[in-house]
Amino acid sequence: MAALRSSSRLFTAARPVFRTQLRAFASVSDTHSTSSPVPPSQTSTVKEPAADPDAKIKTFHIYRWNPDTPSEKPRMQSYTLDLKKTGPMMLDALIRIKNEVDPTLTFRRSCREGICGSCAMNIDGVNTLACLCRIPTDTTKESKIYPLPHTYVVKDVVPDLTQFYKQYKSIKPYLQHSAPAPNGKEYLQSKEERKKLDGLYECILCACCSTSCPSYWWNSEEYLGPAVLLQSYRWIADSRDEKKEERKAALDNSMSLYRCHTILNCSRTCPKGLNPGLAIAEIKKEMAF
Amino acid sequence: MASIVRPTMLRQTCLKVATKRAFSTKPTSSFPAINKPASVLSRKTVRSAFVKDALPGSMRVAAFHASGRRPILPALPQEINGTANDAAPVPTPSPTHGSYHWTFERLVSAGLIPLTIAPFAAGSLNPATDAILCGAILIHSHIGFEATITDYIPKKRLPKTRKLFDWGLKLATVVVGVGLYEFETNDVGLTEAIKRIWTA
Repeated sequence: MAALRSSSRLFTAARPVFRTQLRAFASVSDTHSTSSPVPPSQTSTVKEPAADPDAKIKTFHIYRWNPDTPSEKPRMQSYTLDLKKTGPMMLDALIRIKNEVDPTLTFRRSCREGICGSCAMNIDGVNTLACLCRIPTDTTKESKIYPLPHTYVVKDVVPDLTQFYKQYKSIKPYLQHSAPAPNGKEYLQSKEERKKLDGLYECILCACCSTSCPSYWWNSEEYLGPAVLLQSYRWIADSRDEKKEERKAALDNSMSLYRCHTILNCSRTCPKGLNPGLAIAEIKKEMAF
Repeated sequence: MASIVRPTMLRQTCLKVATKRAFSTKPTSSFPAINKPASVLSRKTVRSAFVKDALPGSMRVAAFHASGRRPILPALPQEINGTANDAAPVPTPSPTHGSYHWTFERLVSAGLIPLTIAPFAAGSLNPATDAILCGAILIHSHIGFEATITDYIPKKRLPKTRKLFDWGLKLATVVVGVGLYEFETNDVGLTEAIKRIWTA
């Protein structure tokens, strides 16, 4: 290595000499000095691109907070975008802001088609998925984007969902069956039994419903929240599951299930159109007697 | 938990008043519209992409908090019990606080409807139905207030306040119960009183 380095140094030392020679040659040549440039009257002027007269400029106010400067208060930052150059969905706007305006803007996104649940955030006061939320074309109204309400914020509009996932884990979201399947392959169920799971299995756990529930805001340590209860009911309603009673017993206390006061913010906000309120009511009904 | 400091619903209702209050400290024409209903002026002003640069720090804070500061139960730093991969603890089952409680509560609530209508529909004032109605109202309101206390006073964070409120509620229920008994035995009784007030 040492030999290599010394040789490269030698090369750099030799370079300036080479350059001066080049320059000397260029000044001596007379080919450029004789030909005159084309006068400005015979050329066209290239102007700066003019602003689009029918641009649809919309303002987005986005919640910003940076964990690197934790003493600074969270703030709302405004961005303006031309809607004619932006995709139809809020996520398109966010991606465009991040690509073209401010690369420090932070948000989660993955599938851009409402199946991963990453881009859940509070847009214009409603918890929803940014990828399923159309940008209102009314440019006089400004859009406001916040992280999911009452979550600990990791950065900008990225919420911390650790507690949510821990609660999801606590309901044992998997099929519990003691004996191996009778046909040695899989547990079967009838079409009617399968139908009971419609409206339950589609949940993508985006946490929109749980974070819209006031009861969950006040008691998220103990109350499970609509999303996790919907999932709990998904396993209680499953004909193949053998631990139905254990699952119900786990909810049979004052906090886990019965902090639901049928506010129904969950059913109203669900970006997938599911009804967690109904699922909770079904659990309550099954446990009543 | 941060919610206790700033209930969103409350914030929505007093947004207009609150923003006025927040902005009244330093009104400037170039102030960008944050939390402000879109006006003709704000629409026409050209806002830079980095509005925060144009604002002094104090104004930014004022603009962010639409409602006044209420330091009641401010949010605590995040606390994660165990690792992120541990499941949240499952409480021990207690149907007396869970399913039985809920069933009883619903039965009382549903029962109150005919109990309230019955004496007026029948037109007769029976001390027995009066007593049942009083008892049902007492239990119903006790359960209702109990739910409120459970919702808003977290046991873990405020154990003493919780205890105080729990016993306060029990005391209040007893006092109301005694009061209703006195009213029933020494005065005209609940339904008769309502009847008189109604026609008065």
